[in-house]
Amino acid sequence: MVLPAGQRASGEWIDDTLRRRAEESGLLSRTPLAGQFPRHRVEVVRAADPVHEVNALFQGRGWTDGLPVMPPTLGRVGAMCASTARAPADVLGEVEPLRGVATVEKVAANAVMAGCAPEHFPVVLAAVEALLDPAFNMRGVQTTDENVAPLVIVSGPLAARLGINAGFGALGPGWRANAAIGRALRLVMLNLGGGWPGAVSLAGLAQPGRYTLCFAERDDTPWPPLRVELGYRPDQSTVTVLRAETAINVTGGLPEVASVMASAASAFTMRYEGRVAVVVAPFVARRLAAEGLSKDDVRRHLYKEARIPVSAWQAWWLRATARDWPAWVLDAEPSGMLPVVKEPADITVVVAGADLAIPQLAYFPSWGFPPCRVTREITPPIDLIG
Amino acid sequence: MLRASAVAEEAGIPSVSLTCEGFIGQAATTATGLGLPGLPVAIVPGHVDVQTVDELRGNVTAVTVDGVIEGLTVAPKDAAELVEPEPGDVVFEGTADEINRFFYENGWSDGLPIVPPTEARVHEFLRFTDYNPDDELGVLLPDKRSATVRTVAINGVMAGCRPEYMPVLVALIEAMADPRYGVEHSGNTPGAETLIVVNGPIIRQLGFNYQQGALRDGFQANTSIGRFWRLYLRNVAGFLPHKTDKGTFGNTWRVVLAENEDALSRIGWTTIAQDQGHVAGGSAVTISRFTGGTVLASVFGSAPEQMIPYLADGIARLVAWEVMFTVGMALGAQRPLLVLSPILAQTLARAGLSKQDVQRRLFEHARIPAWKFERYLGEWTNLAPGRPKLSELVKRGRAAAIFGASDDPERLVPVVARAEDIMIAVSGDPLRTNAYVFAHNGILGFPTTKPIALPAAWRTLIADVAGR
Repeated sequence: MVLPAGQRASGEWIDDTLRRRAEESGLLSRTPLAGQFPRHRVEVVRAADPVHEVNALFQGRGWTDGLPVMPPTLGRVGAMCASTARAPADVLGEVEPLRGVATVEKVAANAVMAGCAPEHFPVVLAAVEALLDPAFNMRGVQTTDENVAPLVIVSGPLAARLGINAGFGALGPGWRANAAIGRALRLVMLNLGGGWPGAVSLAGLAQPGRYTLCFAERDDTPWPPLRVELGYRPDQSTVTVLRAETAINVTGGLPEVASVMASAASAFTMRYEGRVAVVVAPFVARRLAAEGLSKDDVRRHLYKEARIPVSAWQAWWLRATARDWPAWVLDAEPSGMLPVVKEPADITVVVAGADLAIPQLAYFPSWGFPPCRVTREITPPIDLIG
Repeated sequence: MLRASAVAEEAGIPSVSLTCEGFIGQAATTATGLGLPGLPVAIVPGHVDVQTVDELRGNVTAVTVDGVIEGLTVAPKDAAELVEPEPGDVVFEGTADEINRFFYENGWSDGLPIVPPTEARVHEFLRFTDYNPDDELGVLLPDKRSATVRTVAINGVMAGCRPEYMPVLVALIEAMADPRYGVEHSGNTPGAETLIVVNGPIIRQLGFNYQQGALRDGFQANTSIGRFWRLYLRNVAGFLPHKTDKGTFGNTWRVVLAENEDALSRIGWTTIAQDQGHVAGGSAVTISRFTGGTVLASVFGSAPEQMIPYLADGIARLVAWEVMFTVGMALGAQRPLLVLSPILAQTLARAGLSKQDVQRRLFEHARIPAWKFERYLGEWTNLAPGRPKLSELVKRGRAAAIFGASDDPERLVPVVARAEDIMIAVSGDPLRTNAYVFAHNGILGFPTTKPIALPAAWRTLIADVAGR
């Protein structure tokens, strides 16, 4: 096995810190073997049922999300690394808050465990780079008592080639790429960043999106895709990450979405100048486009319509707790109605989901600072180039 | 750079190290080895050598300046406590194939099969030294690990050495740990490789090849001890490619060069060890890092006047950018090595030349135009920034007078500072008129000699080995 655990640039393993934190928090029963492993690159596991043994060991050491993992054997990790031109020792950065060094190989070990196929790995690498951008604020995301998770949106021709689902059930189970890519990021955050629940990550309730939250954008829509809006060419593929609170499903149209946005669900979005996402079903996108609305029109509409009465805002728990609200919120106070984002561009609009005659949408509020929508280009996996 | 910063930090002066992008990983590991894992670095994007002034200014303004400010205003973290196996721990049990895979995958091997360092084998090596297993021969950067006699034995076993090589291995690590050698530079980008020269009775006792094929693999003492050197740099000092070893190309480790002391004594020449100040009689190792070498084939002539120009041309040809160790980065630290086959040495000696006479004649002939010397330093490279003229460096006391005899760019100047800086060894096919020349890496691997201390029971031990 290639050990998936985080080692700092100074050589320390973050598991020693995690074991102390788990002990202090009374959570050692979850990870009784925390910190107990050979301090090498690889470990040999021998057992009658080695897959079971690896899972028992890794669970005990706190290296999983609770679900069984695929053992990160040298062969599987090597195949993962072979899908990128980057060297296994290449450093992507340090994963906050415990600052395990994310080398290509460490990320690959976690991607194997998550169930990724080698061709998914370039997406994972690009997404990890995006998560390590200071704008994502990994430290905040990992340690906050709020329930934020990375939302991963893949845009471009690679999505279909790699089987990243943009259609039926794009946010649900059943799609290996969506499930495994998102899960790989969570394992990186757990094993290299040390975001252990209760010990380091203080999210009170968390959310199911912390297992995986990854989907692709449909390309068959009347609007320019996200990557083109962000300045990439249509033939490029990108991964975009946002800090998201859990998905809120909305059936209807823009008025219904605006009504959900204009609620306490957007409290942290307002508090921190968040960037939110709205997922629009293809049916709705076509209908809006037929009415002559561009994506910008949709953003402007939602920005204008999603307003919170000052009286409601003043009654919020968060309003009483936090004093320093952004200037654009305070400036709007005399008008009696508050926008939930600073400007229309803070609303990311993408089309995804089944092509049904049902007007489905989803709203992802945001948490945290600074404003975050980080995009990286995906380098095609090596065996697909030739 | 990081080492200079560490000295400043320890003196209480905040530092920040400007580090080109490709060196960030090495900087982190080096800083940790120095006991200052948080030693601040400021990234310079790309590499400065290939950027225009405007590009460099843009990069520094956009990226580096912020790093400098943060580095100077945030205190570095304290040293970290690392967990490593205890001395004598059994780290793995398995078949030979499994052990080889395990060692290789954990970065403890060079890719060739190793001999598993079992307790029994290590114990057998330790019989051949009077040191205790836990005795410390020094502390080695970049990992700042203690070089113990036990780890010498372990890496000797792994490299394929025989137990009786142990006294040589111990002497080598004493040399590696000698500050004059400068092991901490072993990961620098030109990737020079150490050559070990062995002298004394140990050559015959251990069966070193010093005749035809002296630098070829195929002889256990020469080959396995050469490999041991590199394994020790990897496993104890901590030089790992893609991490702390930034050799752009690098080099395979060199097999050990043993001198032909029979040939030397016949012509009355000193050995390399004696030239280094070692007294005759005992055995010694001399280590030195060389950037590269080449063969000077078919030296023709029966008199020194015919032979010296070709030999000297070989030295002048090979010491190119490396003149930075003659004048520039370090003064008088360029120590090229000329290896003469015995027949060449004998032909020179027959004319009445001592080794010192040969050195003087080589010094007179191994010269290049001043303009070329200056371009190596400050035009084709930027090793001496500001394109200094040799004559200016002489005036500023930064070069010996011989480099500033005039301002004529066509005047000839030597490639080393003194005649005795040219090392001469005698080895190789006794009857072939070929020579070999190595250019040297200066203070980043300076020639260092250590006596080989034999255990009190050496005669019994070695007789026992011979009788097996």
